[in-house]
Amino acid sequence: MQNEIIVIQGAVKRFGRVEALRGVDLTVRRGEVVVIIGPSGSGKSTLLRCINHLESLDEGCIIVDGIPLTQAENINRVRAEVGIVFQQFNLFPHLTALENITLAQRVVRKRSREESERIAMELLKKVGIPEKAHAYPAQLSGGQQQRVAIARALAMQPKIMLFDEPTSALDPEMIKEVLDVMLALAKEGMTMVVVSHEMGFARAAADRIIFMDEGVIVEETTPELLFTAPKHERTKLFLSKILH
Amino acid sequence: MPDVERLERTLEAKAATLPKERERFDTWWFLVLAVVGVVSLLVFVKPDPFLRIVLFLRDGIGVTVRITVISFAFILVVGLIGGLGRLAKNWLIHGIASLYVEIIRGIPLLVQLLFLYFAFPQVLDGVGAWLIKLSPSLHGAGQWLVDVKPDPFVMAVAGLTICYGAYMSEIYRAGIQSISKGQMEAARSLGMSYFQAMRYVILPQAVRVILPPVGNEFVALLKDSSLVSVVAVSDMTRRGREFMSSSFMSLETWTMVALLYLVMTLFASRVVAYIERKTAFAK
Repeated sequence: MQNEIIVIQGAVKRFGRVEALRGVDLTVRRGEVVVIIGPSGSGKSTLLRCINHLESLDEGCIIVDGIPLTQAENINRVRAEVGIVFQQFNLFPHLTALENITLAQRVVRKRSREESERIAMELLKKVGIPEKAHAYPAQLSGGQQQRVAIARALAMQPKIMLFDEPTSALDPEMIKEVLDVMLALAKEGMTMVVVSHEMGFARAAADRIIFMDEGVIVEETTPELLFTAPKHERTKLFLSKILH
Repeated sequence: MPDVERLERTLEAKAATLPKERERFDTWWFLVLAVVGVVSLLVFVKPDPFLRIVLFLRDGIGVTVRITVISFAFILVVGLIGGLGRLAKNWLIHGIASLYVEIIRGIPLLVQLLFLYFAFPQVLDGVGAWLIKLSPSLHGAGQWLVDVKPDPFVMAVAGLTICYGAYMSEIYRAGIQSISKGQMEAARSLGMSYFQAMRYVILPQAVRVILPPVGNEFVALLKDSSLVSVVAVSDMTRRGREFMSSSFMSLETWTMVALLYLVMTLFASRVVAYIERKTAFAK
């Protein structure tokens, strides 16, 4: 079992004439928590979405847990290893919280109803809302919906969790409940790649912080060094804008 | 589950204190009462000719209902395939589906039915003759194509299915497109295949969106099924024409036919509204 779980080499992604990623190299080790920050349009979400192939690269390659993301059958294998949590939650509105968590377990992992429901209830307890098992997404607050979404991804027992601005669509008082779940997950040793501007979370959980701008990685550093001694002008400028 | 039972009882108690929707005397009830009232009045006050007309039309009513329901079942399937085809990334599948929809939508249903019943058998004859000439081993198949006689009912169902399947494809396509892209992404990111995501995530939501237009299509199909009377199917309209030509009572016959269609369409649209209410989920 090699130590590098995600290896990205020379990643280039174009949307029409716009280059969202312009040659990104990144390696994530097992159990590491990497936080990606950067201004909007810097390519950080695109990079995340490329890791489980919601977007495909135009150049370069991504290897996840030793599996190159090139052939179609590999993509499904990788997706089973990689959970993703979206900014807009993307819960299935026609299913209850419990059904949201059991659906993929039953369809993809072929688990029985009893087993998948048992796992779902455990995860709902873990994210702190077992009493909402039979509620529909529309009946839940944003923070509760996002926690169900995290539980839904965890039910597939992924080796990596990707978070795409998980708290950006939340009201301020709900951000903490989601971050607490993510912190607990980080403490358990989950490999996490998080696109977020929650500096409190970055300080508490991140092993590494990556600053991206205009499709490239500008700076790669630790939380302490980022706040005390940012190397690049662009990083300083960005930090001065987000740390009011 | 006692919890659910208790909840249901509370809801029932609550509902009892509120005016029930089905007790409301809305436009639909007024229309239905009026139409049914007029029909019964005519039948009871003037059994000759109105009761005679109803009795004469009776088997035609059955044919109309049967042809509509059977066609509609096929239309739902063809529409789904066509709709998915229109959304396919594969250019060939997309092209075939688009061609089908664009061609069929541009030809009147009546002309399509006439073509299927009168012109298509000639095509089969030609193909059969060509097969026989081509090779003796294909003689059986060729002869079958030459001999086969178009069954009016089958041709009518085929015609309605082909035509309405094209309209339904567009409804399915729009319904699937109305579901946010994030739903497909979430399903795929959990490891589901495209078809699993469609089956368990997208279609259950899309169906609720398209229910009103699908219901409209059903009512429209019920009415358009009257066109099959030109291809030797004894539906209600054809029976009406038969009665008229033997009795020469145009006004009475077509009044009764129109009223009976109206009763059927009013009930159909109510059934659709009921299904819509039943399948709605909290948004």
